[in-house]
Amino acid sequence: MIAPGWAIEGVGLTRRFGGFAALDGVSIAVPPGEIRGLIGPNGAGKSTLMDVLSGRAQSWSGTVRLGGVDISRLTAVERRRAGLARSFQRTNIFPDLGIGEQIRLAAATAERDNSEEVMAELGLAALADRRAADVSYGDQRRLDLALALVGRPRVLLLDEPAAGLSMSESLTLAGILRDLAGRWGVTVLLVEHDMDVIFSICSRVTVLHLGKILADGTPDEIRRVPEVVTAYLGSTVE
Amino acid sequence: MTSASVPAAAAARRPAGRGYGFVAGLVAVAAIGSALPLLVGSALFLTLMTQAAINAILATGVGFLVRQNGSVSFGHAAFFGIAAYVVALTLKHAVMPAELAAIIAILLPTVLAFALGLVIVRIVGVAFSMLTLAVAQALYELLLKWRELANGDDGMAIAFPARVFGVDMATFQQPHSMFLICWLILMAVILGLWLLARSRFGTLTLAIRENEERARFIGYTTVVPRALIYAVSAAVAALGGLLFVLYNGFVSPGTLHWSLSGEALIMAIIGGPRLVWGPALGAVIFFFIKNAAGDFTDHWPAVIGTVLILVTVLMPRGVGGMLVRLAGRVGGRRSS
Ligand SMILES: Nc1ncnc2c1ncn2[C@@H]1O[C@H](COP(=O)(O)OP(=O)(O)OP(=O)(O)O)[C@@H](O)[C@H]1O
Ligand SMILES: [Mg+2]
Repeated sequence: MIAPGWAIEGVGLTRRFGGFAALDGVSIAVPPGEIRGLIGPNGAGKSTLMDVLSGRAQSWSGTVRLGGVDISRLTAVERRRAGLARSFQRTNIFPDLGIGEQIRLAAATAERDNSEEVMAELGLAALADRRAADVSYGDQRRLDLALALVGRPRVLLLDEPAAGLSMSESLTLAGILRDLAGRWGVTVLLVEHDMDVIFSICSRVTVLHLGKILADGTPDEIRRVPEVVTAYLGSTVE
Repeated sequence: MTSASVPAAAAARRPAGRGYGFVAGLVAVAAIGSALPLLVGSALFLTLMTQAAINAILATGVGFLVRQNGSVSFGHAAFFGIAAYVVALTLKHAVMPAELAAIIAILLPTVLAFALGLVIVRIVGVAFSMLTLAVAQALYELLLKWRELANGDDGMAIAFPARVFGVDMATFQQPHSMFLICWLILMAVILGLWLLARSRFGTLTLAIRENEERARFIGYTTVVPRALIYAVSAAVAALGGLLFVLYNGFVSPGTLHWSLSGEALIMAIIGGPRLVWGPALGAVIFFFIKNAAGDFTDHWPAVIGTVLILVTVLMPRGVGGMLVRLAGRVGGRRSS
């Protein structure tokens, strides 16, 4: 498909906490099917950007478009039903519900129930009858991802899906994500601190610093931007 | 919206034995209760059990709100009392047949609760409880002070026709028969709420109780479902109020008083509101304690209070929750 526009687009997004601008006129646009990395140091505004795009933020200014349609005034519920889903930096699940139960509930708002498929792909099928509170942290992270991924949203905002996972778990998750996003044509905006994950699955990377876009480009380009190296990558890149 | 699309497989995938076990257990309890008037001649005992059954219905409504919404109502007697007063006032002014009055006695509190729920379910924790208390006490004061309307503290005797719903009024007012009616209605209420709790709507409301924010981010608005649960629990309380007037033929502002709301809540906590049938069990326990302690002390509320403290400390899931655990241990399964 020749992409005529952006899958998800934020224009001039600003969000203030008191006098402090956590997001300061940020514009970002991701074409359909891309997995875009979003990196930046702690407090850069990555989660705040996710909140504004997904409808979690209370007061903000700017414009958010989903597939070219202005969704700035839609609530989080309406945005999800329009095909914009997200996961959370801190595990955000239904602890007392069964894993299969909550994934099916999430799937029921979509046109097609692909909960079985998502559970199988994310390795949750065997845990379907378990209470979410009773499974391991890694399983809970994958459940959080499953709640966002089920129903095949058009755009997926993932806020550190691999947070707290081991190196090998992170890379496995990244592989699954790339595979599913490719097969289902999901556009992904991925916040991740682990550069191995970012550089292994993202075709482009946006760098956020102090609420502003610092750089934007392919992984190779990003690695060569001096400010990025000093501001964020630091000594981890030679 | 989505409830029609629930795949049959989703229901079938649940552990099948538990559902049948619940229904079988409920039928057994219904049968045992039904046999009670035949086995026990004592009218006093059956009077006690009838009151227990009526209060159990109120407590079941209060408990269902705790179970599905995680909200504690301190004012459910309002719905109980409104139902009772609807019957009293409509029959006093002879504006409609008793049957229609009975139906409106349930519908009106349900609709009021839904409307009120749309506003107050957004408020969480103690503030919610205080609001329910304030609304109920305001209604209580209204009925107490507006003597021209409802005779104030003296209450109202209700002039029922000889037959209601084709049933001789005496059937409703004698403990032998009324206990049976109330007991079977209680069982039907428990069955209905149990089915509702297992439906997708039931799962949705549990999800909202667990994590309201995430429920929105998987695409569900959260106010209307919670207001609906509030309305359902009010409908159950109103049903209790309707049975109360049928049985007593009399109503006073006490039916809306916070102490009745509080008792229902205590019953729910003793029995265990996480179980649909827990509050009903709590009501029966409550009435037995009240009766036994009342025989030798005027301070029976202190005994109830002590029991409440013991239950909350020793059995956080109530007596019902403990029974379920014991049954699980005896059965040697469901370790998790
Ligand atoms: N509710 C809030 N009230 C006040 N300040 C906030 C609030 N939420 C975020 N901030 C501030 O906004 C800035 C951006 O926070 P944000 O969570 O978006 O950063 P982040 O890039 O996601 O960081 P991390 O990598 O630690 O997750 C931080 O300085 C943070 O302290
Ligand atoms: Mg963050």
